Amino acid sequence: MKRDSPEAPLPGRFAEQRPQRVRVQAPQDASLTIATAKPEHTAQEFYVQQLIRSQLRLACAVAAGLLTMLVGISALLAFWPAVYEFALWHIPLPWWILGVGIYPLIIVAGMLFNGAAARNEKRYRSISRD
Amino acid sequence: MINLLSALALVVVCVTTMLIAFHGLRLSRTTSDFYVASRTVRPWWNASAIGGEYLSAASFLGVAGLIVLSGQSGLWFPIGYTAGYLMLLLFVAAPLRRSQAYTIPDFAQIRFEESKSLRKITTYLVVVICWLYIVPQMHGAALTLSIATGLPGWLGPVIVAAVVCITVVSGGMRSVTFVQAFQYWFKLAALVIPTIFLLIQVIPEQSSTARLESIATQLEAVAGLNLYETISIILALLFGTLGLPHVLVRFYTNPTGQAARSTTVIVLGLLSVFYLLPTTLGVLGLLYTPQLGGSAESDATVLLLPSAVLDGFLGDALTAIVVGGAFAAFLSTTSGLVVSLAGALSQEFFAGTVRGFRISTVLATALPVFIAVVTSSLALAGAIGNVFAFTASTICPLLLLGIWWRSLTARGAIAGMLAGAIACGLSLIVSSLLSEVDALWFHMLRQPAAWSVPLAFVVMIAVSRATARSIPSNTDRIMARLHVPDRDSVF
Repeated sequence: MKRDSPEAPLPGRFAEQRPQRVRVQAPQDASLTIATAKPEHTAQEFYVQQLIRSQLRLACAVAAGLLTMLVGISALLAFWPAVYEFALWHIPLPWWILGVGIYPLIIVAGMLFNGAAARNEKRYRSISRD
Repeated sequence: MINLLSALALVVVCVTTMLIAFHGLRLSRTTSDFYVASRTVRPWWNASAIGGEYLSAASFLGVAGLIVLSGQSGLWFPIGYTAGYLMLLLFVAAPLRRSQAYTIPDFAQIRFEESKSLRKITTYLVVVICWLYIVPQMHGAALTLSIATGLPGWLGPVIVAAVVCITVVSGGMRSVTFVQAFQYWFKLAALVIPTIFLLIQVIPEQSSTARLESIATQLEAVAGLNLYETISIILALLFGTLGLPHVLVRFYTNPTGQAARSTTVIVLGLLSVFYLLPTTLGVLGLLYTPQLGGSAESDATVLLLPSAVLDGFLGDALTAIVVGGAFAAFLSTTSGLVVSLAGALSQEFFAGTVRGFRISTVLATALPVFIAVVTSSLALAGAIGNVFAFTASTICPLLLLGIWWRSLTARGAIAGMLAGAIACGLSLIVSSLLSEVDALWFHMLRQPAAWSVPLAFVVMIAVSRATARSIPSNTDRIMARLHVPDRDSVF
C-alpha cells in the first residue's frame, strides 16, 4: 500500500521501473551436446574442476560425519560403561543403538547426499551448457 | 540322520536358481549382454540384485554367529557392511558407472591407458580377492550341509560350485541379475519367517522373562573386541566395500550415473531391513543356544535355533527354510564373485570372448572348492572381515584416488597397492600363525586395516608426487568423463 502512494520512498519506485526479470535458460534440446568428451575451452575445464571439487567436498563431509559418528559411538561405549544401565525390555541401550538405531541414520545420510549430488550436477549443467 | 525337509529345501533352491538362469539364457546374445546385461537393468531390480549378491554367508549365518560368539562386538559387522555401501555411494557409484568400464582392471586401464603393468597387478589382486571371498562361502556351505542334513561336509562346496558354474556359463550376467534379485527376496523371507515364528513362541513364554532378565548379565559377560580392534574393523568394512569386485560390476548395469546413485540408496534400505533379522536371531541365540558361543559351530546359530526353540514339524520346517535361504546366500554371492573373477580372467587370458568367459568360469570355481575342502572354517564374519581389510588396503585407494585425484600416476598406484597388499596380507598371515596374545601389537597384526589402509594411501600419494611428470596427458578428459553428468539416454 505504501508503493501506491506518490510519496513512497525512492527504492520502491525504482523497483517498479526496473524491467521484469527474465530467466535465461538454454533450450532443453537434445541435439545440444555437453562438451563431455573434450573440454577444449578453459572455461569448460574450470567448470568441470568446480564440479569435481564440489562433489568431493560433499562426499567428504558426509563421510567425515559418518566416521565421527561410528568412532564416537565405539569410544563412548568403551569409556562410559554407565550407558549400559539404561535398558529397554532388559536389553541394554548400546544394543538398541548398534542393532537398530544406526541404520536409519545411514539411509537418511544416503538420501541427503543423493539429492545434494544431483543438485551439484544440475548447477553444473545450467552454467556449462552454452 | 538325513533331515528330509532340509534336503528338499536345498534341492528346490538349487533347481529354481538354475531354472531362472535358463530363462535368462534366451535373452542374452552378445558379449556385452553376458557381462553387464546391456546396461538396461532398472534401479529396483538392480538394487535387489546387489542386495542378493552382497548378502553372503557372512551376513546370513556369520552375523548371528558372531553375536553369539563375541556379543556386542558382533553388531559392528552388519553396521560396517551397510555403512560401506554409503561410502560406495559417496565416492564411487556414479563416477564408476560413467567410466564405462566392465571391471576394476578396465577402470585402471581407462585411467592409465599406457600402463599394462598396472592393469595386470589390478587383475591379479581382483583374482586373489575373489578367491579369498569365495572360500568362506564354501565353508558356510559345508557347515550348513553337514549340520542340516547330516551329509558329509565336502559335498556342500561341490553342490554350490556345480550350480554356480551352470548358472554363470549358461546365462552370464543377465540371468545372474534375475537370479540375484530373486535371491535377495528369498533370503529376506527365509529369515523373516523363522524370526516371526520364534518371536511368537518366545515372547509370551513365562520363562522368557526370566531369560531376558539374565540377558543383561549375559550380554556383558561375552568377551568382545577392544576399542582398537573395533575401530579397525569399522575402517576395514567402510573402505573395503568400495573395492569389492563383485559389487562394483553391478554398477555397470545402471543406465546412468544418477541411476547408479538411486540404486545405491535403495540398496542401503534393503540391507538395513535385512540386518535387523540376523541381529534379532543373534540375540535369541544368546538366550536359547548360548552353548554355541564356546564352540566352533557358532556360525550354525541361525540353523540350530528353530529346532532349539520349537519342537516337532514346525521346528524342522523352519530349519528347512533357513537352510534354503543359506544356500541362496552361498549361491548368489559365489555366482557374483565368479562372474567378476571369470570376467577378469577371460579379459586377461582369453581376449574377452564368450568361450574364454566360460572356460574362466570353470577355473574360477574349481580352486576355491579345493581350498575349502582341505582347510577348516573360522568364524565366517571374521574371515570376510579380513577380505574387506585386504580390499580396503589395495583396490580402495586405487579407486578413490583414481576417481578424485588428478595427480595420481600409474607408478604411484602400483606402489600403493603393493604396499597395502604386502602389509595387510603379511600381518594377517603372521597373526594366524601366532598364538593369541593380549597385546596391542598382536591386535594390530590381527586387524591391520587401521594402519594398512592409511599406509597404502600415503605410499600411493607420495610415489605419485615423486613421479608427477608421468601424469597421463589425457587425465583431464578422463576426469571430465567420470564426473560430468550424463544425459539421460542409454548408451
